[in-house]
Amino acid sequence: MPPSFEVSRRSLKWRETRHLLLTTAPGALWIVIFLVLPSLYLVSMAFMTNGPYGQPGMPLSLDAFRQLAGFGFLGWSPGNLYTLLRSIWQTIVATGLVVVLSYPIAYYITTCRASLRPIMLLAVVVPSWTNQVIRTFGWMNLLAPETPLSDAAQFLGLIPEHMGLFPSSFAVTLGLVYNFLPFMVLPLYAAFEKLDTTLIEAAIDLYASPMRAFWAAVFPQTLPGLLAGVVLVAVPAFGMYVVPELLGGGRSMMIGNLVAGQFTGASNWPYGAAAALLMLAATLIGIFLLRRLGKRAGGGEEVVI
Amino acid sequence: MKRGALKRALGIYWWVLLFFLYLPLAVVVLFSFNSINSAAIFESFSLRWYYRLLANDQIMSALWHSIVLAMSSSVIAVLLGTLIGYGLYRHRRRGLGWLIVLIYLPIVMPDIVFGIADMTFFVRINALTGWLAPGLGPMILSHVTFEIPFVALIVYSRFVGLDPTLFDAAKDLYASPVKRAWHFIVPAIKPALISAFFLSFTLSIDDFVISFFTSGPESSTLPIYIWGAIRKGVTPEINAIATLMIAAVIVAAIISLLVTRRRPQTPPEGR
Repeated sequence: MPPSFEVSRRSLKWRETRHLLLTTAPGALWIVIFLVLPSLYLVSMAFMTNGPYGQPGMPLSLDAFRQLAGFGFLGWSPGNLYTLLRSIWQTIVATGLVVVLSYPIAYYITTCRASLRPIMLLAVVVPSWTNQVIRTFGWMNLLAPETPLSDAAQFLGLIPEHMGLFPSSFAVTLGLVYNFLPFMVLPLYAAFEKLDTTLIEAAIDLYASPMRAFWAAVFPQTLPGLLAGVVLVAVPAFGMYVVPELLGGGRSMMIGNLVAGQFTGASNWPYGAAAALLMLAATLIGIFLLRRLGKRAGGGEEVVI
Repeated sequence: MKRGALKRALGIYWWVLLFFLYLPLAVVVLFSFNSINSAAIFESFSLRWYYRLLANDQIMSALWHSIVLAMSSSVIAVLLGTLIGYGLYRHRRRGLGWLIVLIYLPIVMPDIVFGIADMTFFVRINALTGWLAPGLGPMILSHVTFEIPFVALIVYSRFVGLDPTLFDAAKDLYASPVKRAWHFIVPAIKPALISAFFLSFTLSIDDFVISFFTSGPESSTLPIYIWGAIRKGVTPEINAIATLMIAAVIVAAIISLLVTRRRPQTPPEGR
């Protein structure tokens, strides 16, 4: 009886689609309404003109982008370009430091007793569960003038007398490293745990030096985890607002502060929206490049972000 | 014994790193018990700032807002996120690429862009309709948005870890879809639901940037209050309230350790 079979198959397919819609549509719509639509509104705002009271309006123009590129009343200034480059540079430095600091720790945890490992991982992660404002406040207290750390730095001649270690670019880097270190330890640990040690034995059997064995047999195996960690660290570090705002001065401003400044103090929403677009574009380009790198390094294995 | 030396060096490095990770928190805790208002000199032990804390109405209402926000947003996010997680699992053989992109969007979106997009959007809606005036309501909407993906991913990975034949067994017993969901699916994913709720709660309490931009004058949460106090330079009670928040996190960590100990089969989660 082919006709009824056909009908039941179609109704089955419809039921499956209905099921898919019933389960995923409410949450998906929520994200569309409260994130996608607002983002599209923000995009459109970048093409509006700033009104006399800082509210966006007609006519459409590219003024915000001109301003973002550095053209103001007084001609061209490289300030915003520097802010963008500084953000990229801070992200690269902080991510690099995080990789160097996390790599031995992730390895060390895998060499410890299996019953200890969850506790050790938790010990690394717990500080990042506290609020980032509190963590940064802790560093402000530590790096302020007349604290042991600042006194030591003065003694070594690193900073002038009666100054603290913050506000400074150094403090911003430190804050970024501190905030995102656990995000690197977790994926690296997962990579180390899956490590195929027979490859190392093979390398040693072939009289590879420990260095050579590491680069040939260990490092490539941990690379997917490392790249996943780089995404987890670099993306939020690039968009960081709290750390540079509290630990950095005017000369360590990052792009997040440039964006936020247009919505809090000096209200210029179209200009801020254009800066936010630039930030979003840079973030997406970064993720895209890292994913391509990850696919190549992981031999087709998808790097989960 | 080269290997032993390496292990010992790594062991020392481990403690140095832990010191680095806990130092800023320890300073906050230590100076919360300081008898004078200084972040450089510890004079003597006192509970002075904790008494002032209890008497500070602004801090108490900020604490209340934080809890209301985290509770209500987590409940909604667990409901919506669990549905998505189940849908993703049931229909994982279909091409759901668009849905995956949508779910990852709140995770990859920089906080500051997220917060500003929502703030400007809510202001616009408010100007047009009078709804969504700055305050706890819009904050809950935003928090749910960034919590949904984490819930969906946790629940989805729990489903993947389940034995698929169990689903057929429930169907064979002619259970109605609602009964199947309530008597079978919910108990099976209960650990994932609990950890999803706690993760949502933590994410909400942790969030500063998105709350900051969507909040109104009457809906400051604790992080917003602390931020304001730091910016104004008035910080005596900040150490005390921060210490209580750190203590809450450590208690939560111990609970999660005990829970995962009891259930070794639960896949590890976290951000």
